[in-house]
Amino acid sequence: MTRFTRLFGGLALAAVLAAPLATSASAQTEMTDTQIMKGLSGVTNDDPSLTVELLRKMAQDAVAANQPLSLNKSEIAKKLDKLAQITVQIQFALNSSIIRPESYATLGSIADAMHHPILWNYKFVVVGNTDATGTRAYNLKLSQERADAIVQALVTLFRVSPDRLQALGLGQEALQVPSKPDDPINRRVQIFNIGTVAPMPKATLNPQ
Amino acid sequence: MKGTFLALGALLLAGMAGPASAQTMSYGQAGALIAKSCGPSIERFCSKDNIGTGTVQQCLQANQDKVPKQCFDDFAAVQASIAKRVAAQQGAWKACAASAQQFCSGVQPGDANLLDCLLASSKVVRPACQQTLVDAGWAN
Repeated sequence: MTRFTRLFGGLALAAVLAAPLATSASAQTEMTDTQIMKGLSGVTNDDPSLTVELLRKMAQDAVAANQPLSLNKSEIAKKLDKLAQITVQIQFALNSSIIRPESYATLGSIADAMHHPILWNYKFVVVGNTDATGTRAYNLKLSQERADAIVQALVTLFRVSPDRLQALGLGQEALQVPSKPDDPINRRVQIFNIGTVAPMPKATLNPQ
Repeated sequence: MKGTFLALGALLLAGMAGPASAQTMSYGQAGALIAKSCGPSIERFCSKDNIGTGTVQQCLQANQDKVPKQCFDDFAAVQASIAKRVAAQQGAWKACAASAQQFCSGVQPGDANLLDCLLASSKVVRPACQQTLVDAGWAN
């Protein structure tokens, strides 16, 4: 099953996302917007078996078992790699889930994409990730609080329907670069498209 | 007569200013504006409040003698713009039903197909539909 394959849709979304891009100054935000476009207009495979509950349990089990860090990507990361996704840097206050104002525009750009009809019928998981400094359990908790804070901002400030969003903290259990566990590159927020909210509407002669 | 002329002039001016002031801002622009006008005050006075909780505004209000007025003005403008944008998005298909039926009959719904058709037909869709799509942030 494919999605987001239409050129027009991609262009329309690109136009939506180009607007904040034009006003943003930092290179980081520019990269983020490009990633949003690329991530959300790509063709992906659905995996209905992949749920937030399953991923949460995998992370909790890994922390409880204190599995040694591997040089390879974790099973959780491998599963997530299959989904349509974007990776963004959201700035938080140190050791806290308070989103710093410099990231409000990035959150808004994500909301712009989610409010576009291309993505209206899709739901998303907001995943918080840390690097491997600090304890695993602490990282798991903090990343969940951060993912919660992002979902809350998208819902209350930017009016994305809460039915379309789930927050998941994975701590250090899905390192981006397993060979450099303490690298700040691992501190990131990922947003995954995990399928449709409702069945896609059928073709009709009187579309309403 | 003079009054009418003035009123017309005001209307024209409002119309000219329209594209800049009447258009809703994107959510990204909204976030950037709050960050610019209120960010320093939020970090200074409200560093324990998260933007999604609603307590940031209460905190800013509690410190209103030290927070720039521009912050309150821009915050209100952002909320008004977002409310207008959300309303336009929710009302778009109703506002565009007649145009959709006329120009986009048989288009497969979902994944913005209908929007693509309406945008491609923008020269002929009804003005109310066109304005709603602009307010929704889906057309220029």
